[in-house]
Amino acid sequence: MQKQQRDEKKIILVGNPNVGKSVVFNTLTGSYTTVSNYPGTSVEVSRGQCQIADESFLVLDTPGMYSLLPITEEERVARRILLEESPYVVVHVIDARNLERMLPMTLQLIEAGLPVLLLVNIMDEAERVGMQIDISLLQEKLQIPVIGGALGRGKRGLWELRDAISDFQPRQTTFVYATDLEKDIQKISTLMQGDYILSKRCLTLMLLQRDEEIVQRVQDRENSQYAKVENAVNETVFARRVDLHLRISLERKRICKGLLAGVITQQEGERPVFADRFSNWTMNPWTGIPLLLLVLYFGIYQFVGVFGAGTIVDFLEGGIFEEYLNPWVIGWCEQYIPWYWLNELLVGEYGLFTLGVRYAVAIILPIVGTFFIAFAVIEDSGYFPRLAMLVDRVFKRIGLNGRAVIPMVLGFGCDTMATVVTRTLESTRERVIATLLLALAIPCSAQMGVILGLLSSVPGALMVWLVCMVGVFLLVGFLAAQVVPGERPMFYMEIPPMRLPQLQNVMVKTLTRMQWYFLEIFPLFMIASVLLWAGKLSGALEWLVEMFNPIMRLLGLPGEASTAFILGFFRRDFGAAGLYDLQTEGLLDPVQLTVAAVTLTLFVPCVAQFLVMQRERGWRTALIIFFVVTGLAFSVGWSLNQFLLMTGIL
Amino acid sequence: MKCAFCEHELTPEMLRDEGCGACIGGCRKIHCPYCGHENPVVSEFLDKLLKGGKDKG
Repeated sequence: MQKQQRDEKKIILVGNPNVGKSVVFNTLTGSYTTVSNYPGTSVEVSRGQCQIADESFLVLDTPGMYSLLPITEEERVARRILLEESPYVVVHVIDARNLERMLPMTLQLIEAGLPVLLLVNIMDEAERVGMQIDISLLQEKLQIPVIGGALGRGKRGLWELRDAISDFQPRQTTFVYATDLEKDIQKISTLMQGDYILSKRCLTLMLLQRDEEIVQRVQDRENSQYAKVENAVNETVFARRVDLHLRISLERKRICKGLLAGVITQQEGERPVFADRFSNWTMNPWTGIPLLLLVLYFGIYQFVGVFGAGTIVDFLEGGIFEEYLNPWVIGWCEQYIPWYWLNELLVGEYGLFTLGVRYAVAIILPIVGTFFIAFAVIEDSGYFPRLAMLVDRVFKRIGLNGRAVIPMVLGFGCDTMATVVTRTLESTRERVIATLLLALAIPCSAQMGVILGLLSSVPGALMVWLVCMVGVFLLVGFLAAQVVPGERPMFYMEIPPMRLPQLQNVMVKTLTRMQWYFLEIFPLFMIASVLLWAGKLSGALEWLVEMFNPIMRLLGLPGEASTAFILGFFRRDFGAAGLYDLQTEGLLDPVQLTVAAVTLTLFVPCVAQFLVMQRERGWRTALIIFFVVTGLAFSVGWSLNQFLLMTGIL
Repeated sequence: MKCAFCEHELTPEMLRDEGCGACIGGCRKIHCPYCGHENPVVSEFLDKLLKGGKDKG
């Protein structure tokens, strides 16, 4: 049986996930299939037999892949199959509705010298939205067999596919890149002497993109000749380090655009033009910035700040807790617990119930809940990739690029997690700058919600806070970009289509995130309450507050504000809840409230964020960021206090 | 499941063992390997709650 399989011609199905590969596989093979893990991996590969024109073929269904340059285990396995299984024909299955996004991989497969047959699947859906695809023109341009089909419904195209496989004749086509890139490819590929399944042109491009598996294979095959190849690759990578990946991607996009010219026609009136137009508006600075301001105003300020931090918190904290729960629990404890220390621990100033539970349930949870709803709606609409394109130019000025939008927007949810995500940025320079800006000027959702809620009651205060935050973010980012050495990678990404958020999806995501957040903060709030209680009883807290008092005086704040800063070091949201208490107790005037809000937002990252900073960037960078952030927070707070007192604008 | 940022397909196998350590009981998010975006994974508890015990027995 195994010998028979070895002798059979192999048909390998490749393509992105969800393009109907498995349907094609089942249609070709019927029920005679086996599913097994690919050797040495946990990735499943399906194999089956099929008869075409009295000839038996072995069909392999590979895991979904987006490119020949693998990122995931599934993609690595799919590529390994192409490298090791000697295909008779590689059927690249693509979705007719997303030709432009998927054709670059067809180009890669052809470029690799593989025997490619292109199956443009899901044609029925494409036609339903008014798309007409000229398959014969595409075939003429690509110079490989191209079949249009819809194998999911009615098996349209199945017989054409079987005929094309039966009559398949491999052809060699080369798509030419820009002159300088061609020179680089030529220089390196001519140095390779070994025999390879993939073309040397394709291997060169993967070597230039530092594909470790390909480096290893070339090294094994070239032996002593490899040093020359490696030198040539290193020289080219160094010379074109800034934009090599981008250049290759853009060149492929350029070729695909040329190939698709005249291939796709869109019937007027059936096209969802508004979604496309709206998508363009979000990325054009003239329309994109007003749209961004609208998103921030309604999504964050009105929904999170006014509704979440105002209406819901007032109801839970001021209504349920202050009027019903607190008096009942405090009364019960005073009646049945005779020990002062235990009363204090449970229902005292920093009690587990009166501080820990109240902060977590009545103040923080409603704010992060409304924030997560707004976040999920924006996220599911497909707005974030467009925001990345919109801010790319500004972010380049501060040493980042559009890619940094991901950690920045995640930072509004939780700065600790966002600091972990900075590792996805390409250069160390970007990671350091993004970590600094997250620690300094990106408030977490709970902190931002409390601050928006409190400041919205003071005319002008919110604008002052906003100007300070944006100003510090841009100024510090700009200065950091001048000081921190390193590369400046380019940014390029595929823009997925805009979508209408689904209510169920938004609710599931919100509840999932709230569950995670609550499970994370609740024990920490309890621990912080116990520490503060111990500090109060031992006198250590009073000593700490005394230590902070001179700084509070410099900032023009009352001594009681020290507590909010101490709480803020445990967690940003804990400090924000402390600020909420100060304001509701009437301890702050408008200027003090604004200064406290600005300083607390900029103030040191919480313990968890600091520990992650240390783990991701090392002790030296983490400590430098810690001291820079602390110094800046108090300097800005002091300057703002002086400015507000002098001008009297609040 | 698709990444909410770049729309690349994600599989539960991509759920990282190594997280930031903040999640009690391990990381409950899939960090998309293509763009880095953090996608929440619905917990078993919440999944059961949302299905209202439909798949019992």
